[in-house]
Amino acid sequence: MKHNALRSFFICGLILIGMALFPLFTNNFIIRFGTDILMFAIMASAWNIIGGYTGYASFGNVVFFGIGAYTTAVLMEKAGFGFALAYASSGLLAAVFAILVGLPVLRLRGHYFAIATLGVAEAMKALVQNLEITEGNSGIYLPMLDMSVRGQYYFFFYMMLATLVACLLTTYILLNAKFGYSLIAIREDEDAANSVGINTTYAKTMAFSLSALFTGFAGSIYAYQQAFIKPEPAFTVHTTVKMIVMAVFGGMGKLFGPLLGAFSIEVISEILSDHFLVAHALFFGTIVILAIVFTPKGIMDIITERKLNVSYFLENIRKHRV
Amino acid sequence: MAILQANRISKHFDGLVAVNKVSFVLNPGEILGLIGPNGAGKTTVVNMIAGVYPPTEGEIHFKGKPIHGLKPYRIGRMGIARTFQVVKPFPGMTVKENVAVGAMFGARGKRRSAKEAMEKAEEVLEFVGLADQKDRRADQLGVAFRKRLEMAKALAMSPDVVLFDEVMAGLNFGEIDQAVQMIQKIRHSGITILVIEHVMRAIKNLCDRVFVLHHGEKIADGPVEEVLNDENVIKAYLGKRFKELTH
Repeated sequence: MKHNALRSFFICGLILIGMALFPLFTNNFIIRFGTDILMFAIMASAWNIIGGYTGYASFGNVVFFGIGAYTTAVLMEKAGFGFALAYASSGLLAAVFAILVGLPVLRLRGHYFAIATLGVAEAMKALVQNLEITEGNSGIYLPMLDMSVRGQYYFFFYMMLATLVACLLTTYILLNAKFGYSLIAIREDEDAANSVGINTTYAKTMAFSLSALFTGFAGSIYAYQQAFIKPEPAFTVHTTVKMIVMAVFGGMGKLFGPLLGAFSIEVISEILSDHFLVAHALFFGTIVILAIVFTPKGIMDIITERKLNVSYFLENIRKHRV
Repeated sequence: MAILQANRISKHFDGLVAVNKVSFVLNPGEILGLIGPNGAGKTTVVNMIAGVYPPTEGEIHFKGKPIHGLKPYRIGRMGIARTFQVVKPFPGMTVKENVAVGAMFGARGKRRSAKEAMEKAEEVLEFVGLADQKDRRADQLGVAFRKRLEMAKALAMSPDVVLFDEVMAGLNFGEIDQAVQMIQKIRHSGITILVIEHVMRAIKNLCDRVFVLHHGEKIADGPVEEVLNDENVIKAYLGKRFKELTH
């Protein structure tokens, strides 16, 4: 066991160093692509906390992304905040919002929870579209980052990377603490969790809030990077779908599953849209469906179980068929 | 003084009166049986004690403090553990993790770290004879082991009172005898027990006292032999055929 832990630690370290060094040897386009992957990896990993570990499939996590983006925009543009302060406030505001919304919404389970969160995100979009402080549908500009072009690419890449590392580290620490067990117990059987002494309301709300915190951070960096945001892309349901697909594709309830999912999904869809201008969405959809049918536990499961053969796929189909 | 006391508790589901003004006391160290035909309201009584839903009327006191209306997790932490008639393991966790969760959040949970909870889980698994199953996933266990896991989870919470809701249903004779021995062992460790059971063989061997529910009302309460020979109780169980049998 000890030996294994040491090895995983070593591998993680190598991957991290690789990710940290990679922008130094490549062009701006690739750095930007890497930044996008990291952004989705943050969101998918954050979704994993509430959706993967706690078992509450939130279909509205984009609301935290949007809140993060708009908090940064408003604070920097209207209140003259620096980015550091705006970044911190964005995450915190998203987290507080998650607590306020979570208290009523987390009373719902399964599909009802999914629909309610979807509604929350749509309602928030409508609100932002109509508020004066967010400048409605015309969108809001942010101050530009005062750096060389190359420096800007580095800045946003490393901000995303740092946020992702913080997210994964937090998740890892929590999983090994009692709090992590309470989340998994809720996912496995909420009534049993309650009777065994777990304050399920508290645990669920904290998980939701933590998920919101990191999603809000991602939104904040995104807004500063774009220098101009509008309600439609900031609150679009597509973003939620994307994070869920990535988390599921990579492996729900696995620490590195969503990161792996974000990477593979982004790379696959990039390759597809390069080669098939019109039909790439069709091919992409097919790949996702095949992945869900053959490896419902995600590609992380293939890697950790080291099974990549026909019987593994057949077993999955048997186990999870409707 | 009674460790657990219910005072005229009732539960109404809309128009249906599932439990009607039932009172009972559970004395420290005893094994009290709760029996009754299907649909008599036994599990409803357990659910009211455990806080799944509050009684419509009446009061429940644990160690002199009112607990009616508290959430299940509060009651669990105070020292009342329960098992579920339809077992509720955490299917994706290992047997050991299942039990450790009980140790982490139960009555002494606050004082236990995750690591100490794992040690406590080992201890409890040894006690209930599941030690060699500890690394299996809970959903891979057979019925008898699942029932035992349910008991282990409850025990890991370091409770003062355990409510066993039909932990012997679906077991064969050999397994029932094992379960009976287990419950006796649990009592000797100082835990007070309420057993809800259909299996008469178990009730006779275990209980100091038994009370009977029928249509949500208490129809008898007393020593086992006395209650099982009570005319009302026999009637409740046999219904109309009672007449045929006595003639």
